[in-house]
This record gives sequence, C-alpha cells and structure tokens, in this order.
Amino acid sequence: MREVFTDVVVSAGWVVLGYVLLLDVTMLLLVLTGARRVSLSRRWSGAEGHSEIFASPLTPAVSLLIPAHDEEAGILDTLAAALGQRYPALEVILVDDGSTDRTFELVAARYELAEVTPRPTASLPVDGEILSVHRARTGDPLTVVRKSSVGRRSDALNAALNLARHPLVCMVDADSLLEEDALLRVARPFVEDPANVVAAGGVIRAVNGAHTDRGTVLEPRLSKHWLVRIQTVEYLRSFLLGRTGWADAHALLIISGAFGLFRRDLVVEVGGLDPHSLAEDAELVVTLQEHLRRHRRPHRVVFVPEPVCWTEVPETWGVLGRQRRRWAHGLGQLLWKHRRMIGNPRYGPVGLLALPFFLIFEFLGPVVEVFGLASIALAGGLGLLDLGTVAVMIGLALSVGTLLSVTAIAVEEFTYRRYRRGRDVVALLAAGVIENVGFRQAHAWFRLRGLLAALTRRNPVWTPMPRTGFSGAEPQQAREALPAS
Amino acid sequence: VDVAVLAATGASGLVGALLLAVAVAHVLRTRREEADERRRRELTPVVHALLDGDGGPRPDVAGAPAALDDVVLGLLPQLRGADRQVLRQVLAERGVVARATADLSARAAWRRGRAATLLGAAAGVHHTAALAALLDDRSPDVRSAAARALGKAGDPAAVLPLLTSLDGDRPVPQGLVGMALLDLGTPALPALREALTTGDAGVRVLAAEVLGIHGDLAAAPALQDLLTDDGHSVELRRTAAGALGRIGSPRATEALREVLAGSDSAALRRVAAEALGRVGDPAAGGALTAGLRAPEAEVRAACADALAALGAEGQAVLSAMSGGTGPSAVAARAALDALALSRRPVRMAF
Repeated sequence: MREVFTDVVVSAGWVVLGYVLLLDVTMLLLVLTGARRVSLSRRWSGAEGHSEIFASPLTPAVSLLIPAHDEEAGILDTLAAALGQRYPALEVILVDDGSTDRTFELVAARYELAEVTPRPTASLPVDGEILSVHRARTGDPLTVVRKSSVGRRSDALNAALNLARHPLVCMVDADSLLEEDALLRVARPFVEDPANVVAAGGVIRAVNGAHTDRGTVLEPRLSKHWLVRIQTVEYLRSFLLGRTGWADAHALLIISGAFGLFRRDLVVEVGGLDPHSLAEDAELVVTLQEHLRRHRRPHRVVFVPEPVCWTEVPETWGVLGRQRRRWAHGLGQLLWKHRRMIGNPRYGPVGLLALPFFLIFEFLGPVVEVFGLASIALAGGLGLLDLGTVAVMIGLALSVGTLLSVTAIAVEEFTYRRYRRGRDVVALLAAGVIENVGFRQAHAWFRLRGLLAALTRRNPVWTPMPRTGFSGAEPQQAREALPAS
Repeated sequence: VDVAVLAATGASGLVGALLLAVAVAHVLRTRREEADERRRRELTPVVHALLDGDGGPRPDVAGAPAALDDVVLGLLPQLRGADRQVLRQVLAERGVVARATADLSARAAWRRGRAATLLGAAAGVHHTAALAALLDDRSPDVRSAAARALGKAGDPAAVLPLLTSLDGDRPVPQGLVGMALLDLGTPALPALREALTTGDAGVRVLAAEVLGIHGDLAAAPALQDLLTDDGHSVELRRTAAGALGRIGSPRATEALREVLAGSDSAALRRVAAEALGRVGDPAAGGALTAGLRAPEAEVRAACADALAALGAEGQAVLSAMSGGTGPSAVAARAALDALALSRRPVRMAF
C-alpha cells in the first residue's frame, strides 16, 4: 500500500514539474517571439512617421476616459499627463466615481470647473446616478462627470463613453501617467489601417520609485520595495514581451485597462463594458473579437510595444493579493462567458490558442502549482521521496523560471534600456532570480482563491487600491490649489 | 532524474551567461552613448556653420565622423528652402544618399524601409520611380515607408502610383496613402476628383476625405452626387457629407438637409448635421430644429451644436427650446453651455 501511495505521489510530482516546465517553456517561446518583434521594431526607430501622424488632418480625434475613485494622491499628475499628450485632437473625460476624498475638489480648483448640461452621444446603461457634469474653464479639453459609485470600474467607463465625442476612446487608469508621445504611438495603427484596426494596447510599466514631476516621468528608477521590483520584472515579461508575442500570433486577448485604445462606435455597438465583469478590459477585447468574427467583419487587435503608460503597482502583500484574486476571478468569469469560443476554430487563433492557454495555464495553473508543491513537500517530509529527487525537481523548476525572467530583463537591456542606473539593473536581475522563491508561490495562492471565487460564482467585488501618489509629486502643492475656505 | 539534473544545470548556466551579458552590455552601452553624445555636441557647431554660410572656409564634411549624418538627419525635417538644400547637399557629398539608394534593394526589410524614409526626406524628386516600385514590396512596413517617402519627396508624379497601391495584391493602408496625398498638396487634386467617380469604394472614400480637407470647391458636385445616391455605402456617403461640410459651400445645404431628414442611418444624419453646422447656411435652421427631436442622442447633439454655429438665429432657436424638459431641451442647453464656455477668456491651468 505504501508503495502504491509512493508511486502516486512521485508521479504527481513529475506531472507537476512537467506542467510547470511546459508553462515556462511556452512563456519563454512567447517572450522570445516578442523579443524578436521588439528588436525589429527598434530598427525602425525614428522612421515610423510619428511627426507625419501628428501633423495629419486624417489622424482621428481621441477621447481619453479616466475613471477615478479616491485618487487625490495622484489625480492632478494623471490629468497633467493626459492633457499634455502630443496629439492633434483629444478630449479628456474624468469620471469621479463616488470619491470620498478630495479628488473632485482638487480637480475643480485646478481646472476651474463649471457645471454644464450633459451632451450625451450614446445611451449605454449606467447603474450609478449621474450627479453632475462639469467642463474646465481653463481652456483645457476636460470634462468631469460626478456619479455615485456602484463599486465597478466598468460603470464609470460606460458613463464616460456616453459623453465621449471622438471616434477613438482611450481608457486610462487614474493612477497612471502617459508618456508624452504614448497616444500618438498607440494611435498609429488606427491612422495607417483605419479599415481593420479596432483596438490597440500599449506597454505598462511600474511607476513606483520613478522620479516624476507634474505627470512627467523624469527618470525611471526602481522602487526600494522588493515586491515592486519583482512586479517590474513580471510586467516586463508579461505586459511587454508576452503580449507582443500573442499579438504576433494574432491571438491578443488582453489590452490592459490601464492603457488601451478602441474604436468608440464598436465599443458602443457591443453594449459598452460588461457591468458585471471583474476583468472588464480583457472582457471587452474578447467580446469585440467574438462579435466581429461572428459577423465576418474585418478586424485587427494590435499591441504596440513602444508607447508607455506608467502605473502604480501594489506595495504590500495584502493589496497585491486582493488585486490578483480579482484578476483571477475576472478571468474565470471571462472564460465561462465565452466558453463556446474555447477550442473553436471559427474564432481563429483566439479560440484555438489564446483561450485554451488561459484556461489551462492561467486559470487552472494555480491548482496544479499549489497542490503539486504541497504534495512534493509532504512526500519529502514523510520520506516518500528522497530529498535529492525533491531538490532536483525544485531546482529545475526554479532554474527554468529564473531563465524566463532573466531573458525578459536581457531583452529590456538590449532594446529599450529604460533603467539607466547600474544599481537598478543589478536590482532588476536580482528580482528576476528571487521572484521564483516565494513570490511565485504566493501568487499561485492568490490566484487559487480568485479561481474558487469564480467557481462558486461569488459576487464580484471591486476593491480599490490604496494610492501612494507619484515620487517627486508634492501633495502640498496640490492642496495649495484649493481655494482658502 | 539525471535528465532533470542536466536540464537544471543547463538552465542555470544560461541564467549565469545572461546575467554576465546584461552587466557587460550595460557598461559598454553607457560608455558608447556618452561618446556619441560628446561627438554630436562637437559636430552641431559644424552644421550651424554650414547653414550660416557666412563666407568663411567651408568645414570639411566629407571627412567628418559618421555622427554628422545623425545630426543632419535630425535637423532636416525642421528646415525648409535653402537651408534644407544645404543639408541635402551635405548628405549627397558624404555618400549617404548613394548608400540609401543601394539599400532600397537590401535583403532586410528595415534597411529598405529606412532607405526609403531617408530618400523621401533628403533626395527630392530624383527617386520617385524607385520609391513607387517599393509600394509593391513584400513587407507591409516597407510599403508604408515608401508611401510616406513619396509624400515627403513632393513629386506630383507619385499621385497615380499611390492611388493604384490602394487595391493591388499588396495594398498600402488607406490612411498612409491619404497622408502622402495630403503631403503632395494641390497637384494631387485632379487625380483625386477623377477617382471620386471611377475608383472603387475604398478609393472613393479616401478621395472624398482628402478633397474635403483641401476644401476643393470643384469636387463639390461629385461629392453631392455620392451623398444623395442611396446605392452607395453609408461610409462613402458619410465621408462625402463630411467633405462637403469642410468645403463649406451653401450649394450643398439642400443635399445635406435631405439626408438629415430622410436617411435611415443615424451615423450619416449626425455627420450631415455637423456638416450643416460647418457650412453655416441659415437655410438649414428648419432641418436642424427638426433634427433636435431625433431619437438618437448623437444626432440631437450634432443638430444642437450646428444650430449654435449658425449664429444668432440658430441660438435663438436653442434658447427657445432650452426651457423644456425633454431630450431636445437637454441637447439645446448642452449646446448653449458649450457656446458660453467657448466665449470665456481662457486661463491656463499651469
């Protein structure tokens, strides 16, 4: 009996190891594909025609939509970056989604807001009550919507979509800073191929630790927190190279909610953002692709590896855990809602590649990782496995995982090279190594809890992330903008 | 287990090699960038001396370091006239243009694309045929670069190849051709007018858009025909309506009014209303007032904005309607609010 049990445990250990290796090797292939694309695109640097796009009257105007809930720490910087975009025609629509802090007061004082009658361009359903609409009197193309919160980001975005006037809409998180040319670069595919491009995403990087001033990232620096450093590596691997690889395979599933550009008419046509989804950004991309494929309409979803949106990432385990649980829960909702697309050749590479990958590796991955690790540890502890075998298994998984992270950092260093200080590069490399010890396992645990929440159809809850603001930004300055009372 | 040990050792070795490579690359690239920056600082006064042409001895450009090319190519798009010609001459003397010409047939797509970009900026009209040939290149990025370069080079002979490239086996995206045609300016107009009646649907849409941006009055009759013909696609009719608005001739008012009152497409009615606002003909007041009662929010909003643009008469209509409670009144109030804000003196936020 003991022998059978030992065989089962040993086999389970090897299966888990094989699964982890398969995941890492698949990711490595994606990273290498992305690296090839990034490297090629760098060779075109300076010859992409951005100046022509900026000067062209054919460049479509953009409505930047920013939902905000309790964002007083950085909202003025975010707005400064949005309004300071080098783009020929844009408007910014900020939705103050039931803030209980001074988000609205800060914006009202800085931009001399005046209440106006709303000018709706669409009638998407919005659950929260629209309290008032304001326009800037400073000459900035800024509209501010005040609404009561129903705890969902999608509700705020739908409220903004109802007032958006321009043919393209760009959704940006309120804790994010856009680089000056970010919009111009991400809009380029729409200008060059207006008949086919329906959505485009850009690169997200962690802003924590960077030196900023009034919405401009003056010098990218690595945060002092190891948790942030590890997420920086994670963002490089997944949000830069992974997504570039998926886009190359015509199977891009996620355009981050922190920075994505869409055709407004199509977003309205599919009914706006799903009010019940916790992964409304990915949900929108999949819905658009499903809708357009079903109606046999041409469409391309592209990822532009250059434009950069700097966003705050969690600095504590608690906040990180809530964020990752929400992502996993949202992924579960998405896979259930679009289950007919999974493995369905009618939906092309999205149905045959991306959705099965997300189901097997992203959604079910935590189950295998958590229970696999637990069984290996248990078997080692009970003496069912000799410690040498356990060490080899763990060593192999760790070394391949580390290879994946270090490859992503190497690609960054050889191409974009955003981190100029030697100590930042060293810290980044160290984070790439230690990511696999502790972080990865905790991450799997957070995702497992999100998965369970999705399977038990628990009510989706959008938990706001505490903001720390941007380094170099001085909250006192912002407060001085308020009139004396 | 042995295989696993071997694999783990291999992966660890790769990790070590990558760590070392990143560290070395970081140090070397930092040094190289500092050296390049220093060279550029030294060469900038040389380029300024060339541009000044103050009668002194001409700096030796043929023997200058390669960084001079970067400085010149960086300045070129910002200059016009004689200064631009001086820099073009420098690039020709240093063999940059000849190398780019040779690179047009390079194996790597990025080399062909960069060569096309450089020739478009630096070589004038001498390479139109070679660039036009690249409009059929196997790489979409090269085709795009060639289209941009033809626009920059400014040779009217490029109009026909550009229009033809829209529907070949390897088509160039519409937006790029449009930008190139706009760069070429008024010499492109006759071919575009002809394309309005003879081209396929995609070419007509592009021609209508570009003619509208040029404000080409001579194209207005053909655009009106496109707008009023139900047999054409909504996209084409919408583009024609927008173009008529940009041209701004009151002769288009009647056609636009008809479309606003009778079309099934909300998108087309919205653009027709916006066009009537741009034309600013008071004769459109009645149709726009009726449009305020449209079921679609975007059409009501466009009609209200257009009435505000008509001047005192339209604004009086809005004021009269703004006292009500229905959606028309909301649209009227929104347009009046926007008008009031646009009249305020602007103060900057920073």
